[in-house]
Amino acid sequence: MNCKKVIKLISDYIDKEIEETQREIVEEHLKICRRCLSILNTIEKTIFLSKTLYKRKKVPKRIEKTLYYQIRIRYKK
Amino acid sequence: MNELELVERAKNGDTKAFEELVNQTKDKIYNLGLRILGNKEDAADLLQETYIKAYESLPKFEGRSSFSTWLYRIATNFALMKLRKEKYKKISIDELKEKTDGTYKMDISDWTSNPYFYYKNEELKEVLNEAINSLPPKYKTVFILHDIEGLSIQEISEILSLSIPTTKTRIHRSRLYLREKLSEYFKKKEN
Repeated sequence: MNCKKVIKLISDYIDKEIEETQREIVEEHLKICRRCLSILNTIEKTIFLSKTLYKRKKVPKRIEKTLYYQIRIRYKK
Repeated sequence: MNELELVERAKNGDTKAFEELVNQTKDKIYNLGLRILGNKEDAADLLQETYIKAYESLPKFEGRSSFSTWLYRIATNFALMKLRKEKYKKISIDELKEKTDGTYKMDISDWTSNPYFYYKNEELKEVLNEAINSLPPKYKTVFILHDIEGLSIQEISEILSLSIPTTKTRIHRSRLYLREKLSEYFKKKEN
């Protein structure tokens, strides 16, 4: 399998959405191709970094109050 | 009380049941808004629009998907509408395809292996944030739902009414593009 085909499969490989035979082919290729291995590593780092980019927040009280108010006036109708 | 029972009660005019559904899901929807739209005001608008629409459409909800999947669908529709009017400069879908078709230059640097560097590097976060915001809205939404919010490919395809292959392609191209943008940053740093 050439690099282009491996890279096409790389997200499926990361997400474990890949068939067993294809996974083996990708892994064989990664053993001998530093470039593709590097792309795999840096995509994983990109995903990791994206996950750490934002902190989960709770809905602020003021916004929550307005939200419930909006719902209640609709239920009253 | 489980979700389906709450939905049934809410459909029959039980405010408390609907409020309980809101209570169970509001943080998810708010965070999705923050991530896709990037600011508190728009996330608050998104939250309100989503639940008002959900309240109005509740009689039509048949329970074919889970309530939260259904809510995500409403929320992402609003978010996509808002995104199309957004100020960020976005790359076109053609440009994205061109950049991620596999013939792009492949460097062999692994950036750095020190995780501390990633956590503390505000400049790098800024570069990534900008790159995510420059993705075409359809791609940005799929990327955020999958790689940030952790939803499965199956769930995303239901939420956005996309086929599984289309969902996967959008995730893949987004990742390649973002990786490329970060690589450019690292290269600049080296020089």
